[in-house]
Amino acid sequence: MARDSKHDILFEPIQIGPKVLRNRFYQVPHCIGAGSDKPGFQAANRSLKVEGGWAAVNTEYLSIHPESDDTHRLSARLWDEGDVRNLRAMTDAVHKHDGLCGVEMWYGGSHAPCMESRCTPRGPSQYASEFETMTYCKEMDLDDIQMVQGYYVDAAKRARDAGFDIVYVYGAHSYLPLQFLSPYYNKRTDGYGGSLENRARFWIETLEKVKQAVGDDCAIATRFAVDTLIADAGVEVERDALKFVKLADDFVDVWDVNVGDIAEWGEDAGPSRFYLQGHQLPWQRFIKQVSKKPVLGVGRFTDPDKMAEVIRSGQLDIIGAARPSIADPFLPEKINQGRVDDIRTCIGCNVCISRWEIGGPPMICTQNATSGEEYRRGWHPEKFPKAGSDDSFLVVGSGPSGSECARVLMERGYTVHLVDSGEKIGGSTNSIATLPGLGEWGYHRDYREVQLDKLVKKNKDSQIALGVKPLTVDDCLEYGADKIVIATGASWNTDGNNALTHDPVEGIDTSTPTHLTPEQVLEGSKPIGKKVLILNCDPYYMAPSLAQKLTEDGHQVTVASGVSLGNYMHFTLEAPNMHRMMHELGIEVIGDVWASKAEANRIQLYPIFGDGYRREYRGPGKLPRRENTHFDWHEFDSLVVCTGRHSNTELYEGLKTRKDEWAENDVKGVYVIGDAWAPKLMADATFDGQRLAREIELDDPQHPKPYRREVAVWGAPHMPGDTFEIEYES
Amino acid sequence: MKILVPVKQVGIIDEDYEIRDDGKNVDVDFLDYEINEWDNYSWELALNLQETYGEAVEIVPLTVGPDEAEDVLLNCLAKGGERGIRVWDDALVDSDSMAIAQVIAKVAEHENADYVLTGTLSSDHSFAATGMCVAGLLNWAHAAVVSKVDITPDAQQITVNRELEAGIEEEITVESPAVLSIQLGINEPRYASLRGIKQAKAKPVEVMSHKDFGLTDAEVGEMGSLSKVRKMYAPEHSQAELIEGTVAEQAKRIAEIVKELKGDT
Amino acid sequence: MNKIMVIAEHRLGELTAATFEVIAAAVELKQTKGFSVNVAVLASNPAEFSAKLNIAGVDEIIEVLIQENQFQTDTYEAVINSLLDEYAPSVVLTSNSIDAWSCMPIIAAKRQCGFATDVFALNYDGDDLIATRAAYGEKMHVDLEFPDKETVLITLRGNTYKPIEQEASVPVSSFSAPSVNARTTHKRFIEPETTSDVDIAQAELLLSIGRGIENEDNIEQFEELADTMGFTLGCSRPIADNGWLPKSRQVGQSGKIVVACNTYLAFGISGSVQHMAGMKHVPNIIAVNTDAEASIFIIAKYGVVADMFEIADELINHFE
Repeated sequence: MARDSKHDILFEPIQIGPKVLRNRFYQVPHCIGAGSDKPGFQAANRSLKVEGGWAAVNTEYLSIHPESDDTHRLSARLWDEGDVRNLRAMTDAVHKHDGLCGVEMWYGGSHAPCMESRCTPRGPSQYASEFETMTYCKEMDLDDIQMVQGYYVDAAKRARDAGFDIVYVYGAHSYLPLQFLSPYYNKRTDGYGGSLENRARFWIETLEKVKQAVGDDCAIATRFAVDTLIADAGVEVERDALKFVKLADDFVDVWDVNVGDIAEWGEDAGPSRFYLQGHQLPWQRFIKQVSKKPVLGVGRFTDPDKMAEVIRSGQLDIIGAARPSIADPFLPEKINQGRVDDIRTCIGCNVCISRWEIGGPPMICTQNATSGEEYRRGWHPEKFPKAGSDDSFLVVGSGPSGSECARVLMERGYTVHLVDSGEKIGGSTNSIATLPGLGEWGYHRDYREVQLDKLVKKNKDSQIALGVKPLTVDDCLEYGADKIVIATGASWNTDGNNALTHDPVEGIDTSTPTHLTPEQVLEGSKPIGKKVLILNCDPYYMAPSLAQKLTEDGHQVTVASGVSLGNYMHFTLEAPNMHRMMHELGIEVIGDVWASKAEANRIQLYPIFGDGYRREYRGPGKLPRRENTHFDWHEFDSLVVCTGRHSNTELYEGLKTRKDEWAENDVKGVYVIGDAWAPKLMADATFDGQRLAREIELDDPQHPKPYRREVAVWGAPHMPGDTFEIEYES
Repeated sequence: MKILVPVKQVGIIDEDYEIRDDGKNVDVDFLDYEINEWDNYSWELALNLQETYGEAVEIVPLTVGPDEAEDVLLNCLAKGGERGIRVWDDALVDSDSMAIAQVIAKVAEHENADYVLTGTLSSDHSFAATGMCVAGLLNWAHAAVVSKVDITPDAQQITVNRELEAGIEEEITVESPAVLSIQLGINEPRYASLRGIKQAKAKPVEVMSHKDFGLTDAEVGEMGSLSKVRKMYAPEHSQAELIEGTVAEQAKRIAEIVKELKGDT
Repeated sequence: MNKIMVIAEHRLGELTAATFEVIAAAVELKQTKGFSVNVAVLASNPAEFSAKLNIAGVDEIIEVLIQENQFQTDTYEAVINSLLDEYAPSVVLTSNSIDAWSCMPIIAAKRQCGFATDVFALNYDGDDLIATRAAYGEKMHVDLEFPDKETVLITLRGNTYKPIEQEASVPVSSFSAPSVNARTTHKRFIEPETTSDVDIAQAELLLSIGRGIENEDNIEQFEELADTMGFTLGCSRPIADNGWLPKSRQVGQSGKIVVACNTYLAFGISGSVQHMAGMKHVPNIIAVNTDAEASIFIIAKYGVVADMFEIADELINHFE
């Protein structure tokens, strides 16, 4: 198939300083959990994208000095020769595929708590970080300014040595250069504070010095938050950014522009719940009005038509992307080949970001189960090893794990029958995507549906059977498949069973008219009264989403929660706007409570910290604290029970129980994946499906085989020429 | 009771296609193949009768097509039936409904069938005639576009519903033997299991030529057809004006068009 | 003189609308060759129908008295056979109706005359009759010819020819029906349950949903949209087959031909042949489908390749 000519503009090369980007697809710096300590992961993840057509890839934010230490969060580092050596793995791998690679030189100031290095960070004025509130910085004097600018220059030189083509001075997300520029941070009264020119001085001097040092060999990039979204208390695009760009333009080879700050950087990495693709354009588009240099920006661009339009209309020159490149490293190649319907569209769930926010774990992606597995498991998103046997498969359930398992098995050449009692592929995704703001999560199902429909045509013995009555254990045994994969998902608890007490709540029964499970709410099969109480013990999106949906449908909603409501949404950057939404819709939240018992139209709640704070041993049968005596009845017309989930294990357990009948039915193995194994994130359910399909030839494919780890090797020092033995100073 | 069920492998045109050199059909290299949707329903009907009456009923799928067409027989045999029949010969290329019907009629006689169940029409050419042409050649009682059927083995007469226009149905009795063309929605076709697919591969498929039934080349193919293709071509039609843009923009445009058509300001 | 014979069709006491279209086609064809148009009507009370067949261009109405009024295939076959023996027309025209599907192939098989169905254009190339029809779901057109066939039977696609308004006084003759061995017997007609009092065939504005709706639950959104926009809700066959909407809402050959429709907004309908038979005549068809290759785009005036639910979400805002 051929490329659509309206996408041709995306493939025109463009010059940035001494370098040339071969097309307009640019992976902006973003975290993956690799840094400089997992060079294999770093090199594999980034170079894969270049193989997939991205003209340039960057590391995540790169610490230029131990004073910029974000532990527990994981940044890249270029502190020393050891880091240079490790990052050369990435530059070599990227160059092999003819791409450019860059580093985002980062100095965090107070926002980087230095929990590993124990340094004291410096800033334009002394303040406590609004992001990492325990950390204060020192106000920089002129010596400090010289020193820190020197850190940038030294890091730039190390970057050049390591083979990088692009070097950033990173002034977005409220990091140091922006801290000088923004009156929110900079209260100085000397030549580096006050007027815009003064506040811009630190940044421009740094750019000048870096350019002098490496500008002949590397493209100088700067990431600039053109508006910090707090009106005139911060940086405003029309008042400040236009002037700044004019002042700095000569020293910059390519501008990387976005909006927002660090405390709410979800305004930049906007989740699909709240922001559509291109959501930053109203601010970004100003920059090309004043700059003579190429401008790039992100906005969760997923649609090639939109990308082409953005460039044609002169809003940006280059399409920046982080999440769309995670969901599909081969996005540019697929556009180039006219295979737009094969693109795995980013669903904007921000689960990738959540791993960095939690601090430490490698990145995962709901849409792309191979993300993070490139090096340690050797998984390539577009390449699959050939089937290792002639085994045929019955996959029961076409939700995230079942559809992914069937897809990968079929890609490998296996004969697969995928069966679902629903009319459509996708399982629970079909109802979840109807929640307010979650429509784009449906792309997960769309991708698998399109691919499965294509794959099933390639093997006439494979089949997708939808809308069939649920299979029984007998049906499975008699089906004629060599191997059976159970992907029957999970359901919300009907009796109030929860993570706090590990028991049902007395009186909760969703078979009664006034108590409902989330599934019943989404099905719309049961009438819901005006006053709704959601009893929540789930840390993710279900309770807030149902609260929003029911309020928008005209109900009066209260949420009583035993755990921090939507806690995981802090990590997906959805929390601030979620709380704003709850507030704006007038949804009452009662926190830190649990339920002792429920009736048809009322529930008894108690404070979970209502028992005494002094502890003493009082003997068996007695709580070692004064027992809570405070109980309140809350009335409702309907109760939505969002207390926890349980795996739908009937089919799997039934088959396991009758294991002695497998041989006579020619069944070689039965496996369980996804929520049916244990309730988990959609990203992890999808991972289960892919992993089983790739590891199916193992003796025990149910359990993952070990993956390659990257750890410090005892006996090999980090610094070339250094020692590794234990040594104390004396 | 023996039921013969002719099933057809139909061609679907992909986006890119080329016309054959003689201009009479699409080049077969550009066709994807699948079983004619209606035939799933007629075969399901046969399967149901077989399951209801057991040994009193034999059902046999038949296809007139080249090697690739065997897939549709396997598709049927994966769901039931014990054997299939495929008839092919190069002389059968470019047969119209009548020419194909000649073959089906001969097989029906050869098999001593009591009923022939076809689909109402096939999705590629939609002639809606093959089944009834068979009835004409055999001079059997017949009904087209059947939406409901009540057949018992050894019955002299069966009751069927014909699905007419405007949602009306007609209940009639039909003498047997009979040819019925079956309409969509008469039942819910089942899916095949892997066991069925495996077993199907072991079921015998007799492959024969029209000559084995005493038909001459002149009675089939283009010569035996009641119409001949002069030319096949992509019609020059005014292309639909594609409304592009974001969903919001597209919806806005639709609204504008509708309001204009309604005569609203 | 060569003849074009039209077989008039009627049901439940009314001549079908298609019959008048077929007559118009016959009259158009006759102009080019100077043939005569002879319309045969088979009924237990043929005079009642003859009265309505006094149309300009018709040269003869042939009344054939048969036992029962409703269509019986062996009867029609025997009568038409006799008519063909007697009149030897060059062309026999009837509509592409379900009754025609029952008897015309039988006649063609027994007589081995020329035969084609669902034809929408008839022309003469010299002395050769060329019949044009579609193939591969409307994607291709095919010109058929009938060399060495003295008689050609054609069933004509509906909504292609415009009936003739002008009346004329047409001579009537009688024709004796031969004896028939009727092997089917009519028991009764079953009318569809009209749970709604809406006759979609009378609606000017139709909003129709197809397989893309996926789920019965999703229909409500489009009911609301249709209502808000002032459109009548219709559907394609699978929706009615599933029982998600009453059969009276089904557009298509075996549903309703939406003769009064001026604007047809199709959501998630791919455009099967039998569906298009019910609506392809509509002057303003707007089709929304995620599949750019869907057949419906071939007959649509405006095409939107998009998700029907997303479009519906936006569209309703323009009509509150």
